[in-house]
Amino acid sequence: MKFSRIGVPIAIAAVAAMAVTGCTTTGETPTQATGGTVTVAEVNELTSFNPNTPQGNLDMNAKLTGYTRSGFFYIDNKLNLVPDKSFGTIEKISDDPLTVKYTLAKTATWSDGTPVTADDMMLAWAVQSGYYNDSKTDADGNVTSGTTYFDYAGDTTGLGLTSLPVIGDNNMSMTLTYSEPYADWTLINPIDAPAHVVADKAGVALKDVLAAMTSMPRGDASKPAAPNKDLKAFADFWNTGFDATSLPTDKSLYLSSAGMVLDSWTPKQSITLVRNPDYKGDLKPKVDKIVIRFIGDAQAQVTALQNGEVDLINPQSSADTIKSLEALKNVTTLTGNQFSYDHLDISFNTKVFKDPNVRKAFLMTVPRQQILDAIVTPQNPDATLDDSQLFFPGTDAYDASVKVNGASVYDKVDIDGAKALLNGAKPEVRVLYNTKNPNRVASFQALQASAEKAGFKVVDGGAENWGSLLGSGTYDASIFGWISSGVGVAGVPQIFSTTGGGNYSGYSNPQVDQLAQKLQVTLDKKAQDDIQIQIDTMLFADGYGVPLFVAPGVMAHSNNVTGVVYYPGQAGIGWNYWEWAKK
Amino acid sequence: MVTFITRRLIVSILLLLGAAFIMYQLTALAGDPLEEFYQSRLPNKAQLIAARTEALQLNVPAPLRFFLWLGGAAKCLIPFANSCDLGLTAQGQKVTDLLPMAMGSTLQLVTAATVLAIAIGITFGIVSALRQYTTFDFVMTFVSFLLYSLPSFWVGILLKEFIAIKFNDFLGDPQLGPIWIAVIAIVIGLLWVGLIGGEWRRRVSVFIVSALATAAVLVYFSITDWFLHPNIGPVFMLIMSAGIGLVLTAMLAGIRNRRVMLVAAIQVVITMICYFALQSLLDISSIYTLLILGLVTLVVGLVSGYLVGGQDRGLNMRVGALTALLSAALILVDRLMQSWPQFLGQSSINGRPIATVGSQTPGLTGDIWMHGLDSFTHLLLPTLTLMLIGFAGYTRFSRAGMLDVLNQDYIRTARAKGMPERVVIVRHAFRNSLIPIATIVASDFGALLGGAIITEQVFAFSGMGNLFQVGLRLPDPNPVMGYFVVVAVMVVVFNFIADMTYSALDPRVRTRG
Repeated sequence: MKFSRIGVPIAIAAVAAMAVTGCTTTGETPTQATGGTVTVAEVNELTSFNPNTPQGNLDMNAKLTGYTRSGFFYIDNKLNLVPDKSFGTIEKISDDPLTVKYTLAKTATWSDGTPVTADDMMLAWAVQSGYYNDSKTDADGNVTSGTTYFDYAGDTTGLGLTSLPVIGDNNMSMTLTYSEPYADWTLINPIDAPAHVVADKAGVALKDVLAAMTSMPRGDASKPAAPNKDLKAFADFWNTGFDATSLPTDKSLYLSSAGMVLDSWTPKQSITLVRNPDYKGDLKPKVDKIVIRFIGDAQAQVTALQNGEVDLINPQSSADTIKSLEALKNVTTLTGNQFSYDHLDISFNTKVFKDPNVRKAFLMTVPRQQILDAIVTPQNPDATLDDSQLFFPGTDAYDASVKVNGASVYDKVDIDGAKALLNGAKPEVRVLYNTKNPNRVASFQALQASAEKAGFKVVDGGAENWGSLLGSGTYDASIFGWISSGVGVAGVPQIFSTTGGGNYSGYSNPQVDQLAQKLQVTLDKKAQDDIQIQIDTMLFADGYGVPLFVAPGVMAHSNNVTGVVYYPGQAGIGWNYWEWAKK
Repeated sequence: MVTFITRRLIVSILLLLGAAFIMYQLTALAGDPLEEFYQSRLPNKAQLIAARTEALQLNVPAPLRFFLWLGGAAKCLIPFANSCDLGLTAQGQKVTDLLPMAMGSTLQLVTAATVLAIAIGITFGIVSALRQYTTFDFVMTFVSFLLYSLPSFWVGILLKEFIAIKFNDFLGDPQLGPIWIAVIAIVIGLLWVGLIGGEWRRRVSVFIVSALATAAVLVYFSITDWFLHPNIGPVFMLIMSAGIGLVLTAMLAGIRNRRVMLVAAIQVVITMICYFALQSLLDISSIYTLLILGLVTLVVGLVSGYLVGGQDRGLNMRVGALTALLSAALILVDRLMQSWPQFLGQSSINGRPIATVGSQTPGLTGDIWMHGLDSFTHLLLPTLTLMLIGFAGYTRFSRAGMLDVLNQDYIRTARAKGMPERVVIVRHAFRNSLIPIATIVASDFGALLGGAIITEQVFAFSGMGNLFQVGLRLPDPNPVMGYFVVVAVMVVVFNFIADMTYSALDPRVRTRG
């Protein structure tokens, strides 16, 4: 029995040892980076490699393309369009008819080695022009007849004016001719997904699709044609094929034409971008790796920055966030404006505000400075009153407009002036605002207190479903926000002309209508600014309303990283990633 | 019994359907999914509104939309057809694709916390009941109520500040000052006094011994830069595994049971041999190697227990297996500690190991020990947060349950007939006090996947809670309903299991059928 007591465990151990050594691993050897890694915190996770469809139209998807797609230009922090000659050049050939030629540079290449060609520009043009669509849709968005090829989330008005492009220079250039002048032509960037990948994944030959594109006439909704099979398959893949919840096994779905290329994606956690070895352009990144971690909570972003887990953060701005950021050592906090602003608008189709004097009196009571001090100054100490309906503070055009537009009348609360204009009347004003947004509630309460001093009776018209009430005529004034891209003039007629889709105020001024119309066909930036200044002035003269404040934004970076510059637009903190360097 | 189960099942299904309907309506009414567009100055605003209206079927009134959703969800009941359709999110992602990922990160977050909360909570509850109305009991009652009332986001932020940031700063120059050493030693000393109890003289000696031992260890840590190069080392390994063997023997068999003591001693010897012999194997281990080693350990413990023989082989085997597993765990901890300096030196860690967000360091390379440490440093804070809060409840439940049982007649009978106190408590009181806790544990496991919405947010874990929260914010009912289906089914199933367990554990409530 002695033997079994000792022998059995030994035998078991021997067998186990054999089994165990059979499944060992040598382990990966850790590699040390040389150019450094920058880690960025972002709020939302990636959902698609195509940010131009309605479902993919999410900030993070667009930001990824900022790192991985080159374009003919990028927009800098001062809202200037900066051309990227190493990708291609834009050349205006004639003013009448407006003709623009896009020529790709030899250095433009996809990260699978395929050069970027006019085929890719044709895809972008087909998407952004909606040229082939011949569908009719009902109010719920259901197609009732015809075909919509590309579900494009952007605006097709601009390229919709162009006729079929002319391809030339050995398939390296595309020339667009507009049927009428288009003011925002400079913002057209005809590059999208790689066409060879879309065709390949859709199971159609790229040359068949291109042939269909060149032979098909412009879609006519009144005479819908049978859908083209190749183009439809091609478009269907573009519409949904790039959506993803984790890293696709097929690398071609996330090709890069810029300095960084996606390397890995840990769902719910992070994505890692590495230097694109095939990138030959000018905007070469200095760092080897950019890691983007998804951290939704602003406070969690701040702590992660403090703990060195991330180097750059871009959280939603709030006074608390700024305060905790400023307490941190070795961290630089950047504050500034965002391209959205809160404003008070007067409803012109209500009885109370028929009289321009009542409008003016009401606007004079708006405590704009007080609202600014309460809401924005704690987050952006340099914030000033926003004195223009059309321009953002910090631009040259804004400074020019403020000098003449007459907004300064409303800079200070003038109760006596308002009383004089009211002449003893006690009008009742119902104000609509979003009761779920604490800033709007605060603005309303400040306004209410101030306007009642002048004799107005301000009725609380706040609602949670304020959005669907806009333009319903159930209120006399409204407080809400506009979000804009910061560039381009397409938004102006949209809001201020009589028939504009965003004109909730019932505002109608034939002169403004005329100017807005003219603006849309004015090509020169200077002339555009002049027209906009005229509109701005008329808006204040008519008592359209007053802007309350421009929304503050915040970014912060560890001092180990240099080259980070505040950016007010949607591209976010990564807009100049190629200038980042790790100390 | 069969009728009881059938009735329960039918009621559960009806309950699920009703709750799903209400949930869907509430979500759909929670806001306006088109709100973001109202503020947009884009010229193609109308088109974007139309696209979202179509994607979320907003033109169908919510009560009817529920049935559209239900139609897809009902396909999940067809086995093996893989036709489950829980709809798409507003971003066009399949809810059925998102759910497994969300469940994965939630389970990662809450499993350890729940298990630890149960284990520690029950332990402290039992000890507290045994020492009813002593200082220790009062302190535990105070602490558990304090923790019970703390909001998780606040605990999370405090832990981040003190355990992550301050500790990482401390690692820059890991020297504990005399004040800290004194404070920690006194606290640990008092804790031991409370746990062990006894007369005054015993208390004083327990306090002095444990406080001095703690202080000595801390001084040793400071002098040797232990926090940068931690290890257990052969001497402590021997002391600790012998301690484990001794405590388990004392608790489960009584210190006089020589055979059990022998079994435990055999495990300690084997552990020490393995500690020296297995290092090079551990260096190249994969997770499967460790699983096999764990299995071998279990078998060795059981077999050696069996071979030692005696009257109660079952008891031998239990003590053997437990001692072997716990001692083997020490070897793993020691091996993890050996990787610590290398882990700290990684460029992505940069000497600040304790993380405040996420579940892993992106781009970390290395063997399982590195990844093990990485998971540990990431899960430490969220697990502590959830554990501290969950632990409080279990302490109260098990204390109450234990007191209830201790006051029963049969306990008095057992004591009266001269049974050793250890047997009375471990075998008669403790086991029975677990019956009510079993049902609570079962329903808590059911609620596991519900996640910890706030804790997830604080530590940037996007699990089930995040799926729910993001869906609700838009509002986008499909992901919210995906969350609901999983959570509700789990709760119903586990409540069912709880009922079954109860009747299995306690013969008095067994129904006739």
